Amino acid sequence: MRGRVFTAAAAALALLLTGCSSDGDEADDGKIRLRFQSLAWQQDSVEANKELVAEWNAAHPDIQVDYVQGSWDSVHDQLLTSFEGGEAPDIIHDASDDLADFAYGGYLADLTTLLPARLKADIPARSWRTTTFGQGIYGVPFLQEPRVIMANKKILESSGVRIPTPERPWSWEEFRQVTKELTATMGKGGYAIAWPLKEPVSVSLNLGLSAGGQLFHRGADGKVTVRFTEADGIVPGTVHDQVNTDLSASRSTLGTGGSDALPGFFGGKYAMVPLGFSYRQQITQQAPKGFEWTVLPAPAGKEGLAQGVSPQTLSIAEDSPYKKEAARFLDFFLQPRNMVRLARGDWMLPTGTAALADPSLRTAKDGWATGAAVAQQLRSAPAQSVRGYPEWKDKVATPAFQEYYSGAIDADELRRRLVEDGNLVLARYQRD
Amino acid sequence: MSTLRTSRSARVGQYLALLAYLVFLAFPFLWLISTAFKPAPELGSLHPTWIPRDPTLANFRQAFDEQPLLQAAGNSLLAALSAALIAVLIATPMAYVMARHRGRLSTAATGWVVISQAFPFVLVIIPLFLVLKNLHLINSLFGLVMVYVVWSLPFALWMLVGYVRAVPAELEEAAAVDGAGRLRTLVSVTAPLLAPGIVATALFAFITAWNEFFFALVLLKTPEKQTLPVVLTHFLGAEGVADLGPLAAAAFLATIPSLVIFAIIQKRITGGMLAGAVKS
Repeated sequence: MRGRVFTAAAAALALLLTGCSSDGDEADDGKIRLRFQSLAWQQDSVEANKELVAEWNAAHPDIQVDYVQGSWDSVHDQLLTSFEGGEAPDIIHDASDDLADFAYGGYLADLTTLLPARLKADIPARSWRTTTFGQGIYGVPFLQEPRVIMANKKILESSGVRIPTPERPWSWEEFRQVTKELTATMGKGGYAIAWPLKEPVSVSLNLGLSAGGQLFHRGADGKVTVRFTEADGIVPGTVHDQVNTDLSASRSTLGTGGSDALPGFFGGKYAMVPLGFSYRQQITQQAPKGFEWTVLPAPAGKEGLAQGVSPQTLSIAEDSPYKKEAARFLDFFLQPRNMVRLARGDWMLPTGTAALADPSLRTAKDGWATGAAVAQQLRSAPAQSVRGYPEWKDKVATPAFQEYYSGAIDADELRRRLVEDGNLVLARYQRD
Repeated sequence: MSTLRTSRSARVGQYLALLAYLVFLAFPFLWLISTAFKPAPELGSLHPTWIPRDPTLANFRQAFDEQPLLQAAGNSLLAALSAALIAVLIATPMAYVMARHRGRLSTAATGWVVISQAFPFVLVIIPLFLVLKNLHLINSLFGLVMVYVVWSLPFALWMLVGYVRAVPAELEEAAAVDGAGRLRTLVSVTAPLLAPGIVATALFAFITAWNEFFFALVLLKTPEKQTLPVVLTHFLGAEGVADLGPLAAAAFLATIPSLVIFAIIQKRITGGMLAGAVKS
């Protein structure tokens, strides 16, 4: 028996030592090899990414791109380690709200002079602002998703309430009134709306832009402070009152993610669920036969349908020896026709104006047209470039918003925590 | 009689408590199996059922179509088995010395073991990455195995020291009195009594390595080297959105090797523990 164990041990070790040692550097065949780490995860999206890489490789035999599948889970820590170890991919897929530390840390290349004029002109300035840190541009924003309202068409139409359009959206006041009326028609156990607020901060801040909320204010000295104005309180106040006063919003979904609210939506328990635009794919996959749904714009305020977004981005590592070649690949990858393929694969909206004009993204089917109409109003998320935001969000804002929405604290206490406690956190990150 | 009745009711209570505990433990796994066989519309049902109404293998097909699960499982198995084997080979003699020769060195080593458990991996990952890079062991399963060995070694050592201490030194002394040399005593007397402990420690090291995610994510670059936990995350999107059916199918398959190995080894652990406990 002992003999067998040792034989097995020796065999395993031999396998490891002979078969699985590092590949080391690529053989020098005169070709430039770029590593592209993609976070695409949905089947259609992965296929679109791989097809584009294959097309590039076929057309550019001297500049070959290796597709590496990354994961949204732990991407920040994985990239940080790779940067520190000098082993980062040449081309990096991420989201704009994750770039600030990498940009300020000198890990990402400034793309200002690397990108072609075509690409710069195609993507609107408001989108470029999401990846601009200091004087530099550290990523190309290429896919984005607004928050929209997924609605049960039958319940909505039978209730007789006015159905909003991007041209004539609900105001936040009207929205509250509609949810009250809708709940009254739904009977016991039904709610007009379910807010999945597992991540309450980004929802509150991003939707808050429509009402004129800003929360973060940058002074002349460049330092950011938190101020909670009346406009900042409109969106949180509406949600709070729907849950605690009107009882038109489900309390049980406050701590859940978007996917968790879908069964109740399909079952007719909730008439509407505010979700990211890409959730439409889950709805098409999981909705029971005959379930009719529609996509409505989020309510508007004095700033119209404005919303904060953190687009998906493509960046180039500062350590990459082939920045120009990587930028050429980005130019190819983000050609309008390719951006459309990527957007459809991820069920998101392209940032490029030419791609956004594509008829396939303007169809009413699956709510594409509503998203495309809202796209003009999308702006950089308020906290995008605020240093110390992650700590402010985790330690101060998330518990404060959760307690406020559940009715445990009032608006004054929410304001006190966000401002007083919050500014203490931000100050630590902005010392001279 | 009264004592017997109390004893029986207490026994029933114990079994009920045990059953409740087993259900509690098994619930996530049973739900995982149920989810793996459900078609997409059933995953979004407001009233989910334990038994899928319309069972399907589509999730398994999709999981295999989209990701190289078999290759990843092979990598995980190789890494976990090797890590368990090497950890046990190193930890066993160390544990023997620490348990039998108590002195300052042994105390210091025990202290080191305890302290090493306090370091979170995010603290060591960057230095570790740099060390492995200098050794050309980035993107290498061998490098990953070395990390797993180092990571599981302190706890393996801790476990084995306890097992060695449980073997009475008098048995070794008796063997010596009977004329057995040091090596003969270790091989014929101590090692058989330690077998259950060694098996349990190997199992611990195996499961630790089999489930490990972050080191594998950071250290392995190319898809053909990736382990199963890393590949499983490819079914996850941003903000926790998941391709639930294929994820459940792949996760279900990922648990099978652990279960099989545990089922095989468990008998040896308990058998070894009980051997010689009662005089025949």
